[in-house]
Amino acid sequence: MSKKEIITSKCTGDSCIHVKHKSGLDIYIREMPGFSSVYALFGTKYGSINTTFKLAADKDYTSVPNGIAHFLEHKLFENEDCGVFELFAATGAQCNAYTSFDKTCYLFSCSGDYTENLRILLDFVQKPFFTKENVDKEQGIIGQEIRMTNDNPEWRVLFNMLRCMYHEHPVKIDIAGTEESIAQIDADLLYKCYDTFYNLNNMTLSIAGNISADTVLAICDEMLRPCEDKGLETFFPDEPHHIVQPEIREKQAVGASIFNLGFKCIPEAEKFLKKEMSASLAVSYLTDASSDMYNKLLSEGIINGSFGGEVFAGEGFFSVILSGESENPDAVRDAVTAEIKRISDEGINEKTFNRIKKSAYGDLVRQLCSVTSSATVMINTNMSGCKPFDVVDIVSELKAEDALSFIKNELLPDKMVLSVIEKI
Amino acid sequence: MNYKKTEIGKNITFTSVVDNKFNTCSLRITMITPMSSLTASDYSVAVNVLSDVNANLPTIAAMNERLSELYGAGLSSSSASRGDLHLLALSASWLADRFALDGENITAEMLKIVTDCLFNPLADENGFNEEIFRLSKKEILDIIDSQLNNKREYAITKALQIAFEGEPAAVISNGTRESAEAVTPLSAYNAYKKLMETGQFDIIFISPVEMPEVAEIFKEKFADVPRKSSNYSFYAPSPLKSAPVVVKEEFDVLQAKIAFILKFDTDDIDAVHLMCIILGATPVSKLFMNVREKLSLCYYCACRMSEFKSSVIIDCGVEKNNIEKATDEIMNQLNEIRNGNISDEELQNALLAIENSYNTFGDSHGSYISWLFDCMCRDEYISPAEQIERFFAVTKERIIKAAENVKLDSTYHMLNKETEQ
Repeated sequence: MSKKEIITSKCTGDSCIHVKHKSGLDIYIREMPGFSSVYALFGTKYGSINTTFKLAADKDYTSVPNGIAHFLEHKLFENEDCGVFELFAATGAQCNAYTSFDKTCYLFSCSGDYTENLRILLDFVQKPFFTKENVDKEQGIIGQEIRMTNDNPEWRVLFNMLRCMYHEHPVKIDIAGTEESIAQIDADLLYKCYDTFYNLNNMTLSIAGNISADTVLAICDEMLRPCEDKGLETFFPDEPHHIVQPEIREKQAVGASIFNLGFKCIPEAEKFLKKEMSASLAVSYLTDASSDMYNKLLSEGIINGSFGGEVFAGEGFFSVILSGESENPDAVRDAVTAEIKRISDEGINEKTFNRIKKSAYGDLVRQLCSVTSSATVMINTNMSGCKPFDVVDIVSELKAEDALSFIKNELLPDKMVLSVIEKI
Repeated sequence: MNYKKTEIGKNITFTSVVDNKFNTCSLRITMITPMSSLTASDYSVAVNVLSDVNANLPTIAAMNERLSELYGAGLSSSSASRGDLHLLALSASWLADRFALDGENITAEMLKIVTDCLFNPLADENGFNEEIFRLSKKEILDIIDSQLNNKREYAITKALQIAFEGEPAAVISNGTRESAEAVTPLSAYNAYKKLMETGQFDIIFISPVEMPEVAEIFKEKFADVPRKSSNYSFYAPSPLKSAPVVVKEEFDVLQAKIAFILKFDTDDIDAVHLMCIILGATPVSKLFMNVREKLSLCYYCACRMSEFKSSVIIDCGVEKNNIEKATDEIMNQLNEIRNGNISDEELQNALLAIENSYNTFGDSHGSYISWLFDCMCRDEYISPAEQIERFFAVTKERIIKAAENVKLDSTYHMLNKETEQ
């Protein structure tokens, strides 16, 4: 029997429906009257970091080659009879997929009748078809994707930083793996990963826009095959709190040098939303474009408008990353270090914090007025163990002390890594 | 499509859209002027100054603080080209008043900020404020420098420059490092004044409630500006070179890129557009299915139309050793269309993709702005539904004719150094 609940934001009044489907799948539905499009994501909590795992019935853990989650995502687009792209093309819908560090999502967007597209989505993700021939064919395509991303300085600067930050955690490995690691992938390994992670108990469907919840649920009842929860366990090696090395520089064919200044923080075991939002407001406070530090660096030509920060967190990893273009990233590091010390000593200005909180609230409210963002927020929050509007509610309750505590306790000089991509 | 377009001054159009499903307002002011290497950097720096500060919010810190207080309202500028014209834009977006937690009138505040930016910039008889000018000029120089950071876009830009050599469209919208270095506070300010007096203005405002006063505000403000504006044509077809040109450059990169510019000489834009979709704009297109899926040569191989320059852009990221093979296959697939090898399914898929995409119109402010601006550029206001009808009227014969009309003009190769040796 499926369980249905309506979730409403205390702050904005926005609501959505959550159903724990009898198949094991979490389903989030947001009807958005007045909109003409539909956006759906069918995802599994399986990303590039999940390289070692076992089921309850297994004696030992299995380790698989780096990049296999992403490889599997590519291969799921081939059915036994035809390509999945062709099925969507016949309806006019746009379909795609992505693999991140901790999830793989398949999606479509369409206007008009979404029911056939939803059936195709639910069907193809539940129907793998891997052969030696179609696996071999994909090596060349993904090989080019790896080369393309390695020519992308934003990608390089991030992974160089992660390699300097993490000793063991697989977050330091490129999502697509390497040309060498993907060469080890075969159809059997893909089936092993599929059978482990593409269990509906480990998956979420999120759909928003011009839809009817009853119709969506009827299609789910028709298309979803009940799944037994097989007790999936993923393994992550012990990760020391200290960093590997504080700095890395690489020369690339770029016109402007770029940097990532990362802080390794302590990850929360689960439900890390409050810590994530405290960190997010702390980062906004630190990089506030009206602060003295920002304007001094801007005036001295050390940063430009690209300077900003973000929280980068998932299972077993949590960090804060400041980034931007700069020909003098050392000066950015020095200024940020001094500013963290100043804030830690002097405290947070309450008025500025409340302004930043208002700005964050505005961003969150705006997100909920987009079909795409709504569906994305619902799947992301569920996979993080939270509910869709928790973010808005948590932000509204956060105090200046929460951000101060994060800055004081987590943004530590000995946990800082500077990664730079310099002009040749 | 429900919009209201009025002329609020000489060559100044104001278009408003009311859509109550949104919780935000958006305003875009596009200033249109001929593209020229002599003025590109001056205009770009000028609009950058305009979005950074105004006479009442005279520092970047003050401006950012105010925008952040207004629930993270956005205010930005951009410099781009279309046809042979230069598009300088100021864009703003903000939360609708009903979401203000403390009862603020966000819309009134934002209109004041934006109109101050446009009509009351931080300047005196010597030009823009020196400090703000210095920062804006650096911002533009940094944008110019960072072009190589995005290798795919860089390769396309180089190909377009080769294809449109000697035409205004070959000018990069921010200008070159040299032209940007030469901009002064006074030259940028004079460019701003010239833009205000001679530029064609297109203003689009989207809000969840009817606000006729917004057009009135702009009308009153513009009444004080001496206007000598022209109305520009966006269509500027580029002549085909007598023989295709190939330019190769080497970089320290892992993957080579190829970008082709083809040109057409036909008014049947709808047929060319459909040809591009069938050739390389979807995951079931000929390029995707053959260059990527069948031959495994690349991760991306795509095709799109540059309507106002009567051109088609095809690009691909590929191993250097496979450039010839990929080029042959790309041209082979184009020839397939020329030879009439378009299945009913391919045509139907392309039409459905267009229909699907156009029917999502109105679900974002961006889609309204983009559609209405395109209508203005084409000097023809039609609805997405009418445009869909036109596409469905295109026959295979028209697509074949369009493909026959499309001719290779220029090719750019970004090569990796190692494999070149």
